[in-house]
Amino acid sequence: MPSKYEFEEKFRDQVLRCSRCGFCQAVCPVFGATLRPALNARGKMLLLKEVMDGKIDLNDELIETLFQCTTCASCYENCPSGVNVPEIIKAARKDMVKAGSCHPAFKGMNEVLDKYTNIYAEDEPEDFEREKNQAAENVYFVGCVGLYREDESTSATLDLLDRLRVNYTLIDEVCCSGVLEDVGYPIKDHLARKNIESILATGAKTVITGCPYCSRTFNNKPQYAELKEKGVKVVHVTQFLQGFDFGVTTDKRVTYHDPCDLGRHCGIYEEPRNTIRKIAPNFVEMADNRKNALCCGAGGGVRGAYAKNSIAMARRRLDQAEAVGAEIILTECNSCVHNLANAKLRKQKFRIYNTPQFINELMDAAE
Amino acid sequence: MDEKLKQDLIQIVGEANVTDNLIDRVSFSYDASEHSHRPEGGVWAESAEQVSEIMKLATRNKMPVIPRGAGTGLSGMAVPIEGGIILDLNRMNRILKISIEDRLAVVQPGVVYLDLEKALAPYGFFFPPDPASGKVSTLGGNVATNAGGLKGAKYGTTRDYVLGLQIVLPDGRIMRTGSKAMKSVSGYDLTRLFVGSEGTLGIVTEITFKINPKPTATSTALATFDNLEDAGNAINQIMHSGIIPSALEILGRETLSAINQNTDLNLPEVDAMLLAETDGYTREETDYQLGKVMAIFHENNAHEVRQAETEKDVEDLWAARKSAYAVLARIENNFVLEDVTVPMTRITALLNGIHAISQRHRIRIATFGHAGDGNLHPQILYNGYDPEQVKRMEAASADLFKLAIDLGGTLTGEHGIGISKAPFMSLEHDPVAMDVMRSLKKMFDPNNILNPGKMGLEV
Amino acid sequence: MEMHGYNMPEDLYYEENHFWVKEEGDLLVMGMDDFAQVMAGEIVYVQLPDDGKEIKKGKKFAKIESGKWLGKVFAPVNGEIAAVNEELETNPGLINDDCYGKGWMYKIRPNAKGEMEDLIHGKEAVEKWLLADIEKYAEG
Repeated sequence: MPSKYEFEEKFRDQVLRCSRCGFCQAVCPVFGATLRPALNARGKMLLLKEVMDGKIDLNDELIETLFQCTTCASCYENCPSGVNVPEIIKAARKDMVKAGSCHPAFKGMNEVLDKYTNIYAEDEPEDFEREKNQAAENVYFVGCVGLYREDESTSATLDLLDRLRVNYTLIDEVCCSGVLEDVGYPIKDHLARKNIESILATGAKTVITGCPYCSRTFNNKPQYAELKEKGVKVVHVTQFLQGFDFGVTTDKRVTYHDPCDLGRHCGIYEEPRNTIRKIAPNFVEMADNRKNALCCGAGGGVRGAYAKNSIAMARRRLDQAEAVGAEIILTECNSCVHNLANAKLRKQKFRIYNTPQFINELMDAAE
Repeated sequence: MDEKLKQDLIQIVGEANVTDNLIDRVSFSYDASEHSHRPEGGVWAESAEQVSEIMKLATRNKMPVIPRGAGTGLSGMAVPIEGGIILDLNRMNRILKISIEDRLAVVQPGVVYLDLEKALAPYGFFFPPDPASGKVSTLGGNVATNAGGLKGAKYGTTRDYVLGLQIVLPDGRIMRTGSKAMKSVSGYDLTRLFVGSEGTLGIVTEITFKINPKPTATSTALATFDNLEDAGNAINQIMHSGIIPSALEILGRETLSAINQNTDLNLPEVDAMLLAETDGYTREETDYQLGKVMAIFHENNAHEVRQAETEKDVEDLWAARKSAYAVLARIENNFVLEDVTVPMTRITALLNGIHAISQRHRIRIATFGHAGDGNLHPQILYNGYDPEQVKRMEAASADLFKLAIDLGGTLTGEHGIGISKAPFMSLEHDPVAMDVMRSLKKMFDPNNILNPGKMGLEV
Repeated sequence: MEMHGYNMPEDLYYEENHFWVKEEGDLLVMGMDDFAQVMAGEIVYVQLPDDGKEIKKGKKFAKIESGKWLGKVFAPVNGEIAAVNEELETNPGLINDDCYGKGWMYKIRPNAKGEMEDLIHGKEAVEKWLLADIEKYAEG
């Protein structure tokens, strides 16, 4: 008998498979910051099981937990029973939206993306003083966070590409809108179309993105399939920079934070480290790294909907950086940079950068 | 939750630490067992004083209070079976003191076991019990259940390491037990009474643990057997080797198969596999010890005996063992995990008996466990939505307990009685003992508000 | 002083982006006004520059964020940062709770105290400016 809920249709077996062992509590960033079992992966599965058993309904009372998950997949990575909690949550969110119970921040974001080109409802992006929509080999796609919240990081990355004589152009980009799929809504077709058109118009064969979320959206979502069909490759800037030599180094103690979207979701762990080792011989790993990396707390919409907890999660990650005496924290995601930078306390003296931004700064200093 | 009660609780712990939200009540209904029941709400306490005030309030209102750590108990001791409020102790999570010279650590109950290990590691010390749930379980919970673990045979269980406790009694009075001295026989041993009391006599708000220097070398081996009999005999005979391995675990066929589905280990799927570890301070020493153990395996028809070579192999093997029960959960949508324990000489009989029960009731039972101290974990796997299978599971469970008692063993080596084994208490304990236990409970908790309905103590 | 639903104390001086300023001995204290904190919603992050940082009148010297909005903090006068409200690091919501008291943001050592007179001040001026902004943001 088909269920009225998508999450049950697709994932009933998995929800039942949750053995309640609670091992997810060891790695869930939301639980780590709040110590509230209701917000942990196990808590979410127990709630959904009760929904499936007809004991409770999907309603507003579940918003606080079903919409407070960074989808970091640490739970899935560590679940002995193989329960894919993030996918189940995303499906349940769609059911919640259908049932009329959605977190106002995401409902708002869905509406914003009908009228604006970006999730922040800003009218104008920062001016990076470069021509857009030129014919070029590569398109550099910045992403909303890079355009509207971390302009310094973006500016530095573009400077670096210029130094490396990469032939690229910016475009009049609009939000890839991939994030909507994670919070209960569909991707905006009109935005996807606009991006595809803008990209194809440049004749570029490669799209380089600063945001691992955008690159995943372009690579995996059917709305962007035309890119692949037309022979356009999409890579994240960390992959693009693999072949380059930079000719600069630092003796500072550097560590690397694996963004969930690049790490656990794409399996890209070594490329960023290869680049960092070229420029920072004094490289140290934090306690939880690679597929065990602790989520910074920004993802899955949590920074927008539950900012306080999101920043508390970022603080836990910074504690790990402090524990290894890092002076510089590098990462490859503007969302991580943003959340970690906001969470940093004044007395903590380390600096947080995107890797390309840091390389560019070293090059600036070398001149 | 009753509005006045809620306000009174808010007065004690603050608004942020009181909840009667649906999502909290649902998640507080469960632990890692198959039992569940809604509480009225929950509170998070941050000090012994707050816990004391909460218990005074609960006494006035005759309201059940159920202390909770990580909620990973396997017998239902944290499930609020009679309603009431959950007292979540996870925010009391500081390590208060580590003194290597005094060989002790003082901690709050919400500290996760692994976090204590991480804090002791730089000193070359450890806290031996090593429960499989150590990544998430809290020390307060470990004390409440007298948690065992993989190192039980050589190093004992939690109770062997508790020097003293701070307790809040059901009526709110606060007291201390034990001593910071390494040994004491001053007055009745109240510490031992509370360890393993499953949160029914008092709430632990501070623990002083004895800690050990950590052996720096280990050697690990695995051995496969074509039948349970041989494996059982090998376990029996270990004592004759003169060596007590620091860990000796058994994995049955079903368990091995499930592990293989979850990892790349590619373990041989045989009737029984033994994993052994010896520890010491030099590889010569541990290899020598392991050699003696491996000889016993060979003498008992082990098919293959192999020492693990790399550190990664060793880590993977033990990680696989620790997640065995949750991995097995992939097979059916429900399971019951037992932990019957028998004297070493009866292990083979227990292994065979489990097999017979599985056949008799036509229900799958996977087996793994701490062979080293006779503590097996038969895991009954069944479809919880099929009433027939549920009946067969219950029958099989009952037979397992009877078997263990008949073999001179105990209902539970380390998981506790909770709700799961409460109906079987009188199989193991004579009426006088049960009477004494009930009297103790009544003396500590005359209103029966602290974690009521557990351990078969209600008449 | 209540003004069209917002609390805008008369004795304060206001920078046009809705930051208030008042004298405190040799220094000036600065914060966000009630209108701005209401429009912003719950503040989640306030950038707190190092002591001694130079600030230039009319230029942005820090960022402030709520769940939905990224704002710029503009220097009302020329000077340097003398102190910041470190409470805001872990409790930025103080700006919403008590924007004129516990939610103060920065203390400035001004180059010339007189520059404060360039800011909006006095019941009439404040009311006129506030009304204009209420209208402006109502359309948005």
